[in-house]
Amino acid sequence: MKRDEIVGGIVIFLFGMVTALFSLGMPIGTFRMGGTGLFPLCLGILLMILSGLFISKIFFQGKKDQVKKEGSFESSESPTQLILFLGAMVLATLFFNRLGYPLTSFLLMVALLRILGIKRWGLSILISVVTAVGCYFVFVQWLSIPMPKGWIGI
Amino acid sequence: MFESLQHLANGFGIAGTVQNLLYCLIGCIVGTIIGVLPGIGPIAGIALLIPATFGLNPTSAIIMLAGIYYGAMYGGSTTSILLNVPGETASVITCIDGYKMAQKGRAGPALAIVAIGSFIAGTIGIFGLVFLAPPLAEAALAFGPPEYFSLMVFGFIVLSNVTGASLLKSLMMAVVGLIIGTIGIDPVTGDARFAFGSTYLLGGIEFVAVAIGLFGIGEVLVNVNQPSELLDQGVLMPRLRELYPSLQDLKKSIGAILRGAVSGFGIGLVPGPAPVIATYASYMIERKVSKHPEEFGKGAIEGVAGPESANNSACQSAFIPLFVLGIPFAPPTAILLGALLIHGVSPGPLMISQHAGLFWGVVASMYIGNFMLLILNLPFVPLFANILRIPKRILLPLVILFCMTGMFTVNSSVFDIWMMLLFGVIGFLMRKWAYEGAPLLLALVLGPKLEIAFRQSLMISHGDFGVFVNRPISMVFLLAMAIFLIFPAIRLMFKKSKKGGIKS
Repeated sequence: MKRDEIVGGIVIFLFGMVTALFSLGMPIGTFRMGGTGLFPLCLGILLMILSGLFISKIFFQGKKDQVKKEGSFESSESPTQLILFLGAMVLATLFFNRLGYPLTSFLLMVALLRILGIKRWGLSILISVVTAVGCYFVFVQWLSIPMPKGWIGI
Repeated sequence: MFESLQHLANGFGIAGTVQNLLYCLIGCIVGTIIGVLPGIGPIAGIALLIPATFGLNPTSAIIMLAGIYYGAMYGGSTTSILLNVPGETASVITCIDGYKMAQKGRAGPALAIVAIGSFIAGTIGIFGLVFLAPPLAEAALAFGPPEYFSLMVFGFIVLSNVTGASLLKSLMMAVVGLIIGTIGIDPVTGDARFAFGSTYLLGGIEFVAVAIGLFGIGEVLVNVNQPSELLDQGVLMPRLRELYPSLQDLKKSIGAILRGAVSGFGIGLVPGPAPVIATYASYMIERKVSKHPEEFGKGAIEGVAGPESANNSACQSAFIPLFVLGIPFAPPTAILLGALLIHGVSPGPLMISQHAGLFWGVVASMYIGNFMLLILNLPFVPLFANILRIPKRILLPLVILFCMTGMFTVNSSVFDIWMMLLFGVIGFLMRKWAYEGAPLLLALVLGPKLEIAFRQSLMISHGDFGVFVNRPISMVFLLAMAIFLIFPAIRLMFKKSKKGGIKS
């Protein structure tokens, strides 16, 4: 947990540093007439200070100030499932416009249900069809929201 | 006072016509449905349905759109409690204890207390609106950029104290949110900032993408990362008698509801994203006054009742600056302003005299709308609570599909879905490292306003930071902020020295 805390702190520190560096590439101006980069520069520096304080606090105080276990969870418990799940979402987003809304929602549902362990094809397809058709009627037909039609054209 | 009461009575006469009652009912129903669908909040809901009001007279149109607004706010709380997906920023705080209550099988009482609290707060709000609106609206006029700045910084400190185990971590998240809020166009000079040549980034990061990503997708990914067998363990299933709050729940909540209603109303009058600050301030107050502050964050009903009442109350009083000053302080009221202009009504100091029927009619309709929401929603509590009976293996893909659909509907942009996924992964990592998402989200919304207030204040004072302490209202906020920061530290030191004394 302590290692996670320090890694998190370092990532945030780097984010603050990158922000400050990019801000320096913009006009800073003066406090009287601040430029575009002034506010993000101040924020970047403030974030570096806060995360620096946080890292040193964790580093020096050790276990005393560690957050309670409840706020966290053990990582890597099901990484394959997580990666596949994320992959399906990325693919659905990638082909959202080309496949169209009804087909993408159907395929995404089938994929996610299978990844999460609904092994019966019949059940997966039934749930996916009902969901895709239901969503299509609610969002496209009822609320008249323009969704991508894709190559199937609906 | 009597004049106001007479106007209000006239307002009830206008709102009570069959036609306006029907539009109010349609607004409440559509708003609740829109709020319940994850991803579509009041902003998108009102925007989508403005064209449907073109054929109506201005009063009926605004009554219906206002109904969608508070109906969606209510519906947003439902998704916060059941799925940990806030419909809008004001519901973020409801996720903290509401979702925990749902996980413990107490979604029913949480949902019911939202409806009851919202109704009581609405009742208090309407009386406040009638009697206190004129003097308070005048007081709000005294706010300049330094006061806005100090108020917003105070809001961050309150929020950072409220959420999470570590003040430092919450402050870090608030600053990260402020940095993300700087992406897009500089609000003062109009120059591009952190856009890297992308036309999508020029418009800034869509708030809804961050909200759904951090809370909705993040929560789903946490669940997906669990061992497979844990996916079969649903949340505790409520028994029928547990679907509504017990007498003890009501006893615990009533104080929180009243405090939330009063504080929410006051905050609603102050320029700024009132419902958001009101919910956080109410949560903070409840935690401070509670005899069991350790229960907050673990499913305390006061943590739902207080903020939701404050939210409703602030939503009502936020109409005062919109109608009286013509200045919307939150995105939904900004869209309502657009709707008013479309219907040929210009809000401002003369609106109450020039469009008295519309003003008082809408005020009265809010009360009627709140009553309708109570009647409509209480019977549906079991239905909503039973959503949790759906196995996680099916519910999680459904949430993802709703999130993606809802995200696309906001701007019809696939880029927003990418952003949502990115913030979903960030939300997942934040949970892994035990960071709170709420400060980031609030900072993202307040960021541009904070920057404008900061830079305008320094322009006024020719670069002198004394402007923030030389002005009385601003100084009061900064003093309050200092007390919020110093008091817990002193208390901690006092506790430590006491412990040390006992040991020795």
